[in-house]
Amino acid sequence: MARNFNHRIRRYTFKAMHFFGLFLAMMVLCVPGFWIVLNSFRPTVEIMAKPPVWIPNELNLDHYRAMFGGIGEGGVPVLTYFTNSLVISVTSTVIAILIGMAGGYAFARYKFKFKGGIFVGLMITRAVPGVALSLPLFIIFARVGIIDTHIGMIIAYVALNVPFTVWLIDGFFRQIPPELAEAAEIDGCTRWQAFWRVEFPVARSGIASAGIFAFLTSWNEYALASQLTRSTTSKTMPVGLLDFTSEFTLNWGGMCALAVLMIIPALILTFLVQKHLIAGLTFGGVKG
Amino acid sequence: MKTFLSGASCAVLATAAVTTIVAVTGIAQAGEFDGITIEAKLIGGQQYEALYARIPEWEAATGAKVDIISKKNHFELDKEFKSDIAARTTDWCVGSNHSSFASQYASLYTDLNGFIGKDVVDEFVQANIKAATFDGKLVMLPRAQFDVSALYYQKDLYEDAARAKAFEAKYGYPLAVPETWAQVKDQAIFFADPPNFYGTQYAGKDEAIVGRYYEMVVAEGGQLFNDDFSPAFNSDAGKRALQWFVDLYDAGAVPAGTTNYLWDDLGNGFASGTIALNLDWPGWAGFFNDPTASKVAGNVGVAPAPKGSAGIRTGWSGFHGFSVTEDCAHKEAAASLVEFLTNENSQKLESSAGPLPSRTAVWDYISEQAKDDPYRAEVLAAFKETAATAFAVPPTSLWIEATNLIYPELQAAILGDKTVDEALADAAEAVDDLMQEEGVY
Amino acid sequence: MKRLKLPPWLVLLLPAILILSAVVLIPLVLSLYSSFTSYRLTRPDSIFNWVGLFNYEKAVTDAKFWAAFGRTVLLLTVALNLEMLLGLGLALMVSKVTHGQRLLRTMMMFPMMFSPILVGFQFKFIFNDNVGLVNNALQSLGITDRAIPWLVDADLAMFSIIFAEVWTATSVFGILILAGLYAIPRDPLEAAKVDGCTSWQSFRYVTLPFLMPFIYIAMAIRSLDVARAYDIVQVMTNGGPARRTELLWTLIGRTGYVDARMGYANAMGYISIFLAIFFTVYFFKKLTKSRKELGMGA
Repeated sequence: MARNFNHRIRRYTFKAMHFFGLFLAMMVLCVPGFWIVLNSFRPTVEIMAKPPVWIPNELNLDHYRAMFGGIGEGGVPVLTYFTNSLVISVTSTVIAILIGMAGGYAFARYKFKFKGGIFVGLMITRAVPGVALSLPLFIIFARVGIIDTHIGMIIAYVALNVPFTVWLIDGFFRQIPPELAEAAEIDGCTRWQAFWRVEFPVARSGIASAGIFAFLTSWNEYALASQLTRSTTSKTMPVGLLDFTSEFTLNWGGMCALAVLMIIPALILTFLVQKHLIAGLTFGGVKG
Repeated sequence: MKTFLSGASCAVLATAAVTTIVAVTGIAQAGEFDGITIEAKLIGGQQYEALYARIPEWEAATGAKVDIISKKNHFELDKEFKSDIAARTTDWCVGSNHSSFASQYASLYTDLNGFIGKDVVDEFVQANIKAATFDGKLVMLPRAQFDVSALYYQKDLYEDAARAKAFEAKYGYPLAVPETWAQVKDQAIFFADPPNFYGTQYAGKDEAIVGRYYEMVVAEGGQLFNDDFSPAFNSDAGKRALQWFVDLYDAGAVPAGTTNYLWDDLGNGFASGTIALNLDWPGWAGFFNDPTASKVAGNVGVAPAPKGSAGIRTGWSGFHGFSVTEDCAHKEAAASLVEFLTNENSQKLESSAGPLPSRTAVWDYISEQAKDDPYRAEVLAAFKETAATAFAVPPTSLWIEATNLIYPELQAAILGDKTVDEALADAAEAVDDLMQEEGVY
Repeated sequence: MKRLKLPPWLVLLLPAILILSAVVLIPLVLSLYSSFTSYRLTRPDSIFNWVGLFNYEKAVTDAKFWAAFGRTVLLLTVALNLEMLLGLGLALMVSKVTHGQRLLRTMMMFPMMFSPILVGFQFKFIFNDNVGLVNNALQSLGITDRAIPWLVDADLAMFSIIFAEVWTATSVFGILILAGLYAIPRDPLEAAKVDGCTSWQSFRYVTLPFLMPFIYIAMAIRSLDVARAYDIVQVMTNGGPARRTELLWTLIGRTGYVDARMGYANAMGYISIFLAIFFTVYFFKKLTKSRKELGMGA
């Protein structure tokens, strides 16, 4: 009886600790973010108040209204930035996925010389510090004439994401038995058809997970974008954040408002595909 | 910061815009530059963009078109200009410039003296023209974004008789708005009540703290550089200047994080009502007095920058302007645009929202306009007084690089990692090495 | 004319190789060359001024460079390990939840939605000593009556930067490890239970070895990515005060762009690339090894 009781106590403490730990972790992860969301609705005088105002006296849409307002009234071309971000991120993600599928398939299905070396070589391109890259890239892009264009940004982001997509998709193809595709080929499919009919559907969630990582990277990238964009023709939202700074001032409330517009689409997308994400990573990651 | 732009000043802005339309022409002849497109790289940010709304007027008057190919904040723009010089993609025409950065772009911009009439140049504040001239080349025309710092303070601190008495008993002179930096130090230590209230604060990193130190060295009767740009700050005046920063930090009279503050932290700090005295830029004047942005609204006083022990006011100043590139294919048209953006009506429009002008006539004009607004009048009077003795940064292309060597040493002294003597000796040696390596002397 | 026939693997790899050469390799060759010159951005002709190993000698003999180097290694080691441990804990806790996992997983990934530059501003304000969220909370709760200088104090400044970095990246570990947890086959765990293992034992000897490949993948991905923390550090402290948080990236960025000494900056950059390569290859080797142990070798 006593033992049973002890056991129960232990189980309850464990449960309570689990709940508490989870709660604490989620707090730490989410509070800084919620703080940004909250700030976007508060007048500046309350954000920076001392003594602090914990319970907002006033919530309003002033920062949003100003952001969508005209030039000279605090307006920032948000919609243009949003479109730029969307076009650049989506296109570069799709291209990076296609290239990643081709490359991943090559690594998974063919034997060739220097395979390991080429693979690590591809990965290491990602490890190059941005500073060593940004100026020569700028010079090349400026000479070719693709500075401040969507194309230029897309090319840069595809390169940024390709190592990762190749890796993840390679691991995924590997765990699909080659016999599956071979069987389809025997049934009269070309290799191309076999790929799309047999291997691709199985690999889909792996590809989705590579996609969400690539998308988030492009969506949030700042360092390269600040170098390769100039005007509203290609500026993305992270670069647009700096519109709220001038030489001496920084409009934190306004920045938060733009940040909220950046976070929401990413959040919705993640929520929608996160089931695939988990499934994709499960296979793609390990069995490389 | 948009709040102070949009709020009270909106009405003024609108009326100014209306009056300017009438008076556009006169400088440029109609159709003079038909079919020409001028590519421009302009500073972005809410404070700066109201002026660009005037560009269509210039286009209509001259027949040229303006294509703004880049709009960024100053530090990003600096990076872009340097990248452009490196990539030799400098065939665009008009660029925003800043007096502190201008010396670095020697090869980029052309001498405006050949394109702008001397009578026009004479209408600007001559100290600004001098600071925009390098080796006899006038590289930029100043817009109405002149910056020098005056002392903002909380008025009610000086209205409490008990406090005034306690102060006089302790320091032996009556409590009044400070006129010297020694008084600022006394009062800052007296007012401080950390962590809820601080006497003052200062910019603590990058070019900002070196600028603050530079003006303090001058106010103490010293120099930052000798005439050959060898370091001169490792002197008695230089040590006194740095000691001022160190003493305030040690006394807890400034926020403990001040060595990580830049301008935005300082402005937000004063607006939060936790800082008694704040040496700051004119761009904040409206913000500090705006009840939706600042807790000290209605309680802000502004005095001219205090003086150092040599009887000289601090007055590190800078300004924005526009330049024309050497590689521009249509320099006349570009210069005409620059002249237009800095002409009297443009400056009236810009300074109606708060920033300070760089034309003598516009100074008079805005003082006249502010007659019925006591706060604005006080602000202008304080800044006008400070501007009269203001000085620019040393005219060397290595200024920014030198500040990057000096500021970590200043921070080390303030935080107690080094003594004042050690820090200044190390900084002077580093700057000396730099100047020699670059063959300055 | 006979068409050149490329092996199929090369055709498939060609797009990846082409784009990486164009965007990474060629610029790298350019910057490697410039590291042997006295290249200054504001004097473009200086790119032809060959100075041999001068920049490298200058970097190698500069105490400031090695201090930044050491600090970067420290940051990488501490941050990556912390992210791994916290990510592991987070994943374990989330995997034990029966209801609302989908929501929890999304919440767990919340920090990944934040652009690094935004994270920098966010934590600069949160850790502000005067009006920041952390100090306000501590003072309101009566825990301290001081204004703690989070971004200035020698130890706390590094802590704050590491906190911000860990905050952004723990999610990546969490989600990868969570994926690993879902993939663990049930049988070995059941067997361990039957054999009378405690839950710690079955975690240590069954679950953890299985998770190791996931952990190394996350490590490798992060060590590739961690240079993106530049945005965060640059906004939060820019290496200061008094060089207390100077990292390779802030040092190189300032030298290259603000001081315009691109040649010298690139030399330092090349020395630091070896650091990145070391971390990547190290984790890659570990990954291959732990896969082999699990019998999943390619």
